[in-house]
Formats: sequence, structure tokens, C-alpha cells
Amino acid sequence: MKILGISGHYHDSAAALVIDGVPVAAVQEERLTRRKNDAGFPLAAIEWCLDHAGLSPDDLDAVIFYEKPTLKFDRVLTGLLQGWPGSWRSYPKAMKNMLGEKLWVRGLIASQLGISTRRVRCIEHHQSHAAAAFLTAPTQEAAIITADGVGEWATLTVGTGTKRADGSSEIRMLRELRFPHSLGLFYSAVTAYLGFTVNEGEYKVMGLASYGQPTRIDEMRRLLRPAANGAFTLDLDYFDFLGKVESGYSNRFIDLFGPARKNWQPIDLTSDEGRRFADIAASAQALLEEVMVGIATNLQRETGLSDLCLGGGVALNGVANARILREAGFGRLFVPSAPGDAGCALGAALYADRILFGQPHKAVPDHPFWGPKPDEEALLRIALEDGIPAIASNQAIEDVADALATDKIVGWVDGAMEYGPRALGHRSILAAPHDVAMRDRLNRDIKYREGFRPFAPVVAAEHADRFFELPPGGARLARFMSGVVPVRPEWRSRLAAITHVDGTARVQVLEREMEPRLHALLEAYGERSGIPVLLNTSFNLAGEPIVNTVSEAYSTFRRCGIDLLVAGNVCVTKPRVVRAQILENVA
Amino acid sequence: MILRPVHHFIWADPQRRARKLLEFAEVEASGGRDLVRAAELTNDPLLRARYLAHARDEARHADMFRARGRALRKETTGEEKEGLADWMAPGELGMEGLDLARETDADLLAFLHLSESAAARDFARYARVIDKDPATRILFQRILHDEDEHKKYTRGELGRIAPRRERRVLWWARLRRLWKAYLRFATALAGVMAGVVLTLQYFVLLPPFAWLAKRNAKREKSGWNIVDEKALR
Repeated sequence: MKILGISGHYHDSAAALVIDGVPVAAVQEERLTRRKNDAGFPLAAIEWCLDHAGLSPDDLDAVIFYEKPTLKFDRVLTGLLQGWPGSWRSYPKAMKNMLGEKLWVRGLIASQLGISTRRVRCIEHHQSHAAAAFLTAPTQEAAIITADGVGEWATLTVGTGTKRADGSSEIRMLRELRFPHSLGLFYSAVTAYLGFTVNEGEYKVMGLASYGQPTRIDEMRRLLRPAANGAFTLDLDYFDFLGKVESGYSNRFIDLFGPARKNWQPIDLTSDEGRRFADIAASAQALLEEVMVGIATNLQRETGLSDLCLGGGVALNGVANARILREAGFGRLFVPSAPGDAGCALGAALYADRILFGQPHKAVPDHPFWGPKPDEEALLRIALEDGIPAIASNQAIEDVADALATDKIVGWVDGAMEYGPRALGHRSILAAPHDVAMRDRLNRDIKYREGFRPFAPVVAAEHADRFFELPPGGARLARFMSGVVPVRPEWRSRLAAITHVDGTARVQVLEREMEPRLHALLEAYGERSGIPVLLNTSFNLAGEPIVNTVSEAYSTFRRCGIDLLVAGNVCVTKPRVVRAQILENVA
Repeated sequence: MILRPVHHFIWADPQRRARKLLEFAEVEASGGRDLVRAAELTNDPLLRARYLAHARDEARHADMFRARGRALRKETTGEEKEGLADWMAPGELGMEGLDLARETDADLLAFLHLSESAAARDFARYARVIDKDPATRILFQRILHDEDEHKKYTRGELGRIAPRRERRVLWWARLRRLWKAYLRFATALAGVMAGVVLTLQYFVLLPPFAWLAKRNAKREKSGWNIVDEKALR
């Protein structure tokens, strides 16, 4: 069967194509339209998936949308009615939004693709998350937790998944928490309070939390009250999900925690105000971890299973993930490369294949590389046209390792693009991980971002334990950079660029089979430096999506302090005069 | 000429002036991002170099507008805050919803030429009415010089890319700008009308349903909702 999965209309739209039970293409819309977190109908992503497989829309057996718009409308309308008359400002906006396009998504998909509406189906949001987490994981039976802001009504679900020997698959939702009681919305409200953009700045809260102490956790528990059975309720006096959709917190929240940070206000961690923000971040983070660990522990005891699959935006919280793995009793924790809404496109397609249409289960290749491939020749042509030194070299890996060993910053484009928010070795900026100076240089000349945010390392799997304190099952969690673990104390000073203030790192543990070239580069770099670890950050500038094509990589390379651009075997070196001009602009 | 008193009114107040300059900074920055995108998409090496240089100019203009806006705001209110950091979402493109991937080089050059001409006209107008703020006037004059250069290069490149068709392409671009302006106006008007109707509906039709929804909300229990009863037995 040929099944297209689509997610969109909220944030980070995507499309994924599954043929005969195996994914063949998946890409986020933002990577093609170059609009960060593009939430529009993912037409470019759909077109690319179909072109990649050589299909036309008529060839598709089914198109699956990742959530049920009528249920979502029910939740939105009920919420507005419950908030009457205080929701009067939100009502026209929400109705225009829902009635304008979102409610008629089956018709929209049918008309955009020119197919019958009978071939378009919708499944529930958290079913898509659960399928994305479980059906892509190399496990036969697992407990499943999905948690995000909100789907239709559910905000958090627990269940189990089974792949049987006869080929059939089952995903069973046991219970759920419903809107407005949401871990994701709680964390987003704190994100907005701390002056970061909701649905974008949550990981900044996680980074900031390491600088603080959870001194305000008792006050946080007034907002989010955990129950003994793992559930929790939000005290809605502290939130305003209807009146202030963009922020979500109420004036009572401000009364409790003090004035919110304005988005232009710098975070000075040496000041009382900066420490207050860091403590609030630490308290929210600690409470989120406590709740997630509680839910996971209960589920493990209830099911007796040793594997857990985690999906939804909350699964991007690597600190919480690592704590779940350490404390909840599971032996392995699987988080897909795209646990957020973008990943639901693949989840929806797989759910339809296995569950709706009863197709036999097939193992899904265990990597995140489902996007477009770069055209190395095009990079060579563009660079030479512009008079920038470029060569196609058979020893590119050795050359790059030499460059990295002399503190050069490398833009690395190699193979099909990652599906999900992390750069996992195909669209990465790589650098030596040893000095704080390198971290500061990356922040200043390339990423233009807050100094408190950490950079992540990538390490060859064989050497991971030497540098990082991985818990049992930690290497699996770190496959897609989904867990934050301690850097071994004896290595922290030599891995200063990737060691966060609390001694941890969000490490990617790379197996040779998943990405042989980057693995070879790590080995080559290890031969030169004695440490087969590299700093690995996404190949983009602040506010832009990760690069897709070589021309996007090239323009990024031209605009920032990257010294060497590599696509496959093609290496482009920045001439000194261009580098000086860029540094002058940055200054 | 007719709008001169309006411009005077807008630019006379230093706080309004600061706000306008900060808005211009965002527009220039997003225009710069669009030009980078255009450079990524074109196959013409000369145009790629031109677009990247133009993008650098736009980024520089954004910095200049931002610096002056901040300084004005500090002078008038004592605050250094920008207040517009999230005015445009990061990465959002600025050229009136133009889908750069679907534009030909000629169409884009025509569009750029008209945009730069309009910007040059506006900036010249603003520079004329700002008589009590020499620093801002000089800023506009400096940027105006760049805009004139951009006007010239886009016209020249259009002649190179689409010889004998340039006037037609320019007229087509003018019509498209007009059509987009109409669409923006119509969308805004429809939005206002829908807002009024829906607000009326909210207060006239919804109260009984709101009462029912609130009553039901009180009956709802908090905590877990069982989805699969059988699985729990």
C-alpha cells in the first residue's frame, strides 16, 4: 500500500510517505519553504515525497491526517463556552481560524491533491504520536507514553504496543489526561513567562534550568498538583489559555512569581533577577521531571514491560528523558528522531498501514535520514562560479579532520536530511569540543544566540562510555540525541565547549552503521586529538530552519564564521578576505 | 504633497519616530532574508553575487534603523528596550508573501526594482519632513543613496536578463503589486466584518450554551480518563 501521512496547521507541518509498510520519504515543510516552524498546509513536503517516490496523488491508496479536526473544534468551542464572557476576544479569532480552513481538512487535502475525499482519513493526534514512537522503534512490545501541549482533547496518554509474530500490530491506549490539564501547556506558560517564544523556546528553559536551583518548586506545585496515581491537575487560576493564547499565564501567576521577563531583557545570571528566572526554570523543570517519572514508574509497575516508547513534544526534554530511564524501571527508552508534531506525519501513515489496514509489521530502518539528498556537484559549481576555492577530494574526511584539529569550524552536509529538529550528522556544524572559547566563538560568529545555551557533542558508540556516564540503555536514548547525561568529571575540562554548567551534555552516540562517514570522521579526529568527540550543532543561523540544499548551506557559509563547507567529497574553503569581511560585519 | 501634513504629524513625535524606525529595521531585516533566499535559488552567478551584496546592505540598514530607533527611544523615555523583538516571527519572510521559489529571475528583479523605487520615494519624503532631527534625516539620506543604487542595479540586471521584455515585465509586476494590495485590503475588511458578526454572535447566541458548558465542566472529574476499560481488568 502507498500511504501519505500529513501533519500541519498548528506548528511544524510535515509529510511522510510509506510504501508497503516501510517509510521512503519524510520531510518538514519548513526545510523546503525556509519558513521556521512553517505551520501551513505542507504542499511542498507532499510534492517532494511524491516526486521522490515517482508517484502521483492518484497512485496513493490513502492519505492520513494526523488529528481529527471535528474533535479539535469540539474542544476549542467547549473551552470558549466555558470561558464565557472572558473569552470574547479569543472567540472571533478561534472561529475564523477553525471555520476558515482547519475544520475542512479532508476537503482541503482532497482538493489540493486532486483525489477523492474517500481516500482521506483522520486519526487522533495522540494515536499519531504513539505510532511514531512505537512503530518506528526496534521493540516487539513496549509501554507507550505520549505527552504534549494538546491534541484534540488528550494532552497525555499512556498505553501499550505489541507487534505479534503473526505480523499484526496493536496500539492500546489505556487512559489519558485531558485539556486543560497539560504538562506541555504548563511548560509553555513558563516558557512565555521567561520571555521565550512558545513552541520554540522550551529547550531554552531546559538550558536555563541548569543555572538555577529548584527553590520555587513548592510554588510550582500550587500550579500543577500531582496526584498519587501519577495524574495531575492544573490550577486554572494561574493560567489563561483562552484570553492570552500566546502566553498562557494569568496575572495570578505573576503575583506568585513576580514580573515576567520581557523578550528583549537580557538574562544576567550574576544578577538577582537573572537568578530568579533561572530558579523558576529549574523549578518548572524539576516538577515536569517528577511528574513524568511518576507516570512512567506507575506504568512500568502496571505493565511489567521493560521497554518504553515516548512521543509528543515533551519527549524533546532530554533531561526528563534521562531521568525516566534512570528511575522509572524501564530497561530501554525509545524516543523517535521527530517526537513532536512533525513526526506525526510518519506516525499517522504507519498507524494507518498497521492498524487501520491491518498490513503486517515490517521493521522500520533505525535512522532519521528520510529527507532530500544534497547535490555535491552543484556546490562545486556554485563555489567555482563565485571564485571561492573548492575541490572534490577523495580524502575529504582526512582533510576535514585536519581542519577540525586546527580549530576550524566545518559546515557538514552529507546524505539525506534528518527528519526532526536535531541535526544528527547530515546537516551539522562541527567543531572541536575542547575549549570554552570555541563555544563562545560559535555563539558570537555563527549562531548569534544566548550565551547560556549549551552545544551538543557527537561521539562514536565504541568510545561513548569513556567520556560520558551513560546509564543502562543510555546509548539507545542518545542515538537521536534524546537524553542529557553527565560528562565524566575527568573529561569535563577537555570537553569544555560541550559540557553544560551542571556537567552534563545532550550527547549523540553514533553507531557506524547509522552514519559511516561521520563515524569515520570521528575516528580520524580521535587519531589527531586523542578524543573522538566533536561538537555537533544544527546547520542554520538563528531564526532560520536547518539547511536543506547545498545552495542554502553555501549561503549560510558565506554569511557566518564557518571556515570550511563540506558536501560529500566536495570541500569549499573560505578565503581570508571573505572571512575578515564577515567578522567585521559581526563586530 | 497631499500627504505631507500626515507625514509631518507622524514624524514630529520622537516616540512615534522611534517606533517607525524599529519597524523599518524589521522590514529591512526580513527583506535581507528574502534576498538571501533569492541568491540561493538563482542559477545566475552574477545575480547571486548582487543579491548577497544587496542582502548585506539590507542587514546594515536594519542595524542602522535599529540603532537610531533605540537611541531615540532612550532619549525620549530613558528606556533602551526595543519592544519589537517579536514583531515578526524569526525566519518569517518579508516580501509581501512572495513565493520566491516560483518567481523567475526577471519577475523578481522587476518586483525588487519597484519595491526599491517605492522605498526610495518614501525615504526621500520622510527625510524632507524631519527638520528637527538631523541624525534621523542623515540616516534616511544615507540609506536613500543605497536604495538608488539598488534601483539602478535591478533595472540594469532586468535589461540583461530579459532584453526587449523589460517594460512588459515591469508593468506586469506593477499590476501584481496592485492586485496584492487589493487582496490585503479585502482580507483586512473581511476580517473586520467577520470579527463584528462573530462578536455579536458570541454575546447574543452563545450565553445559554455557555451556561450548559459551565454546568457540565463542574461535573467533569479531574485526573485520568479511562480509554480502554477492558485493558484495565
